[in-house]
Amino acid sequence: MQDTRAPTAVIADDERLMREQIAARLRDAWPELRIVGEAANGREAVALVRSREPDIVFLDIRMPEMDGIEAAQALSGSAHVVFVTAYDEYAITAFDHGAVDYLLKPADPERVAITCQRLRERLDTRPEPMGELLAELSQRLAGGAARPRDHLRWVQASVGNGIRMIPTSDILFFRADEKYTRVQTGVFEALIRKPIKELVDELDPDEFWQIHRAILVRVDAVDKVSRDDRGRQVVTVKGSGEKLEVSRSFGHLFRQM
Amino acid sequence: MNTGNEEMPLSDTTKQNLRELRDAAVELWWRFFDWLAVVPWKTLAIVSVLMLVLGGILQSPQPFFILIVASFIIKAVAGGKRRADLTASQAIQRADTEQHERAILEAHLAALQAQIEPHFLFNTLASIDQLILTDPPRASRMQQSLIRYLRSAMPKMRDGARPTLGQQVDLSRAFLEIMAVRMDDRLRTALHVPAGLQSAVFPSMMLQTLVENAIRHGLEPKAVGGLLSIQAEVADGKLAVHVRDTGVGFAPQSAAGVGLANIRERLKVLYNGRAELVIGVPADGGTCATITVPYEIAAADAA
Repeated sequence: MQDTRAPTAVIADDERLMREQIAARLRDAWPELRIVGEAANGREAVALVRSREPDIVFLDIRMPEMDGIEAAQALSGSAHVVFVTAYDEYAITAFDHGAVDYLLKPADPERVAITCQRLRERLDTRPEPMGELLAELSQRLAGGAARPRDHLRWVQASVGNGIRMIPTSDILFFRADEKYTRVQTGVFEALIRKPIKELVDELDPDEFWQIHRAILVRVDAVDKVSRDDRGRQVVTVKGSGEKLEVSRSFGHLFRQM
Repeated sequence: MNTGNEEMPLSDTTKQNLRELRDAAVELWWRFFDWLAVVPWKTLAIVSVLMLVLGGILQSPQPFFILIVASFIIKAVAGGKRRADLTASQAIQRADTEQHERAILEAHLAALQAQIEPHFLFNTLASIDQLILTDPPRASRMQQSLIRYLRSAMPKMRDGARPTLGQQVDLSRAFLEIMAVRMDDRLRTALHVPAGLQSAVFPSMMLQTLVENAIRHGLEPKAVGGLLSIQAEVADGKLAVHVRDTGVGFAPQSAAGVGLANIRERLKVLYNGRAELVIGVPADGGTCATITVPYEIAAADAA
């Protein structure tokens, strides 16, 4: 009877030494607590918690596959969560205001004892879902303010006989060329398969402007805009001297310039 | 000779005055000369006509006429040289300032790159803390690696010597020893740096930035981990250093990382187009970052 009542926990950390450390500290602070599983990444942690249904899960924040915050989101409400971290300044300030507990590595025995005491008091209650707090946490970890993360910053292209990643800041313009798209930097040109239509959606619209159905130019690379002898607008590109035609429907981009 | 002692001070003052006058005249002459050198011919012609008119009014046009002819000759003969001298000295001054600015910029960027990631430091200390209880000899070895890493990662203020590839590899080796303990069998490493290239000049902290990126963005996010290899070679007078990992590969959306942008900026400042950083995508996965710099041997007195 007592055995089935013994509280249980799962420890998740990608570093074995750290799992051992938490386990050892918990043995000292809370001998009745049974460690029913150890996970080396977030995905394993979620699977273990679902199969073994522990009362508590200790989650390292930085883990492969799925980080500790994502794992907690997936497990919301199914176990009491204690986050473990060596250094995550943003996260720690968030924990200080939340219902979630956290431990700093290396785990200090006195601090572990306090955490265990809090957990004992909470064991009878259902774990709280922490949706809002976790959403805030994951945003803080992603770098605070709403940073545009999903724009293309690198383009994968064949150069010579290898494939390399070209930073978009090196690219002067993209130009559709039959089946391929030509990528021009100040030093070389390369071909990619991604069509202009897709690039328009994926690149940062403040970094690259479409000036023609077949041309995207980096705004910073525009040297000047002039008109050719037929009265059409033409963009001269810095560092290459190449002239790119602006089609009528995109002419408004340079109207105020 | 007959002047008395009392008059000597007066004579000194006069001499002084004369010297000042002469200096002023010389100064005036050079100003006139500079003005002549740069003034457009058209302006000189207009001024000449005005001078002739002035000469006519004063009824002694001859000295003015001589002055005008002399001006034209001086401008024609010496103006070009003088102007070239001025431009040259300005250019030298500008180059000095530029070089100075580049040196400051490089020092600033190098210091930024040398920042030690707190996450790494705290995690390593936590691991040492655990090993002290379970495996003290291993704890001691890990701590020694940390000391070697910190010693070589600290920006060197007094040391004017240029960093060598050997030093940079030692630094990364200490770092990798630590990470190998922490990551267990998830991290395997291979170093292929020929002994002959140890003394090649290689900028500080760049190799380390690539190694840290390979671990943090390539291998750590991969559950099974993988291999990190460092390889150096010389070809066509250029030293190429490759850092390759078999990790999750490079995400085109990743915000380029401050580290890589910093390396590019520093290579530009240090080598002015003769060095580059290339991020390659090997056919069998992972990432291969290569820094290529001109091959130079560090001066022997550096030690």
